[in-house]
Amino acid sequence: MNPDTLKYTEDHEWIVEQRGLYVVGITEYAVDELGEITFVELPEVGRRLERGEDAAVLESVKAASDVLCPVTGVVAEVNDILEMEPDLINRDTYGKGWILKLKDVNVEEYEELMDSRSYRGYLKTVE
Amino acid sequence: MQQTPLFEQYAKHNARVVDFHGWALPLQFAGIIEEHKQVRTEAGIFDCSHMGEFLFTGADAMAALDRLVIGSMTSLAVGKCRYTALLHEDGGILDDGVALRLSEEELLLVTNAGALDSVAALFQQKVPGAKNLSADLAKIDIQGPLAPRILSEFGFECVRSMTFWSGAQLYRKGLDLIITRAGYTGEWGYEIFVPNEGAADLWQELAAHPPVKPCGLGARDTLRMEMGYPLSGQDLTADRTALEAGLDRFIAWDTDFPGKARMEAQRDSGDYQVLTLLKSADKRAPRHGFELVYNGETAGVVTSGTFGPSVNCGIGLGYVPRALAQPGVMLEAGPRKLPVQIETPPFYKESTGRNRIEAHHLQP
Repeated sequence: MNPDTLKYTEDHEWIVEQRGLYVVGITEYAVDELGEITFVELPEVGRRLERGEDAAVLESVKAASDVLCPVTGVVAEVNDILEMEPDLINRDTYGKGWILKLKDVNVEEYEELMDSRSYRGYLKTVE
Repeated sequence: MQQTPLFEQYAKHNARVVDFHGWALPLQFAGIIEEHKQVRTEAGIFDCSHMGEFLFTGADAMAALDRLVIGSMTSLAVGKCRYTALLHEDGGILDDGVALRLSEEELLLVTNAGALDSVAALFQQKVPGAKNLSADLAKIDIQGPLAPRILSEFGFECVRSMTFWSGAQLYRKGLDLIITRAGYTGEWGYEIFVPNEGAADLWQELAAHPPVKPCGLGARDTLRMEMGYPLSGQDLTADRTALEAGLDRFIAWDTDFPGKARMEAQRDSGDYQVLTLLKSADKRAPRHGFELVYNGETAGVVTSGTFGPSVNCGIGLGYVPRALAQPGVMLEAGPRKLPVQIETPPFYKESTGRNRIEAHHLQP
């Protein structure tokens, strides 16, 4: 996934529309903050999630952190491989380290999210 | 932030630097898990120059020190190390430390960065003849099964005869060094106290040796937790006594020290919380501050927690009522009710630290 074409949240999740589904992951910045990820707890497929609701839990050596759902939608798919290889997120967070895919999303909420340029600007304010 | 004499070395190894009690120290170099495994299997070096060192000279100074710590320092044999702690008047923990009896006349006490100012003020006030060497001495810990061989190759002859928890003074490359066979990882290892001016050279010498990798605070923390060692300022705090922290075996009840009355009362009643080890069934870890629940009721709190790379599961330390502190007791930790089981120390049982070092361990 090209980070320039993704949408971003202030909590450092990324999301992008791909063939009708919305793929969600966490940003390089979030990965860097967490360090080596050791455990991933994924949501149930079919579950409806509100924007800002806990979608997944990531545990690293240092801390546990919630992945917040960037937009309201229904879980269509989860990246099961992460349960065996959680460090895929460390190695390829914009690719094989995706976390879940949503369907039936609130498109208005999606459109309101930051683009990559705004997110880079936002990062400067949090660093 | 304060910098140690080794600060400039960090960047050469891509360190991620963090603020640790006002010191700019490396959290990690190659990565916490990799560094952790490096120490369990080969050898790693840690910059511990932020720690405190105090020198006590003469019988009066040692007797005065004895009145401040929970153990007996005057009875410590020359060349041996002893773990001890300093308490507040109410029995709460100020700091812990390791003493080395350098000679009949001299004793070195190594303490932590967090409470250094308070500890220094206490000694200045109560111990005539105490000298604070913290600003002059750097400290490099080399830890791991290959540490004895590596130091032997580097001309530290004394490691051949050094037993677990002993120490020596030596002269090397124009510098007076102090070395102890101790550490905070559970593995064979040494702590080397070196004057500031010689620290960078010694670090570079060791770091250039292929099996040695620089390691940061992150791996130091996971390594100590796998051994069940408490951390001053995190597991050992002013609101817990040495008895609660499980330091019973380091308490000399026949000596006087601050907080003794409170701990005697606790000991006699038997009614207090005690620091225990908590093990998760999977890779999820209990975390600092997690509430511990037993049978639906609040029972205690987690003070340290992490994923343990060598035990491959979540581990932690926490306080629970003494009556509950039995191996096998199950509790729930934190908002997600993570099941954790009370364990006997250490979590990691294959460490080399206490094993005898034989001649063949020193051969390449």
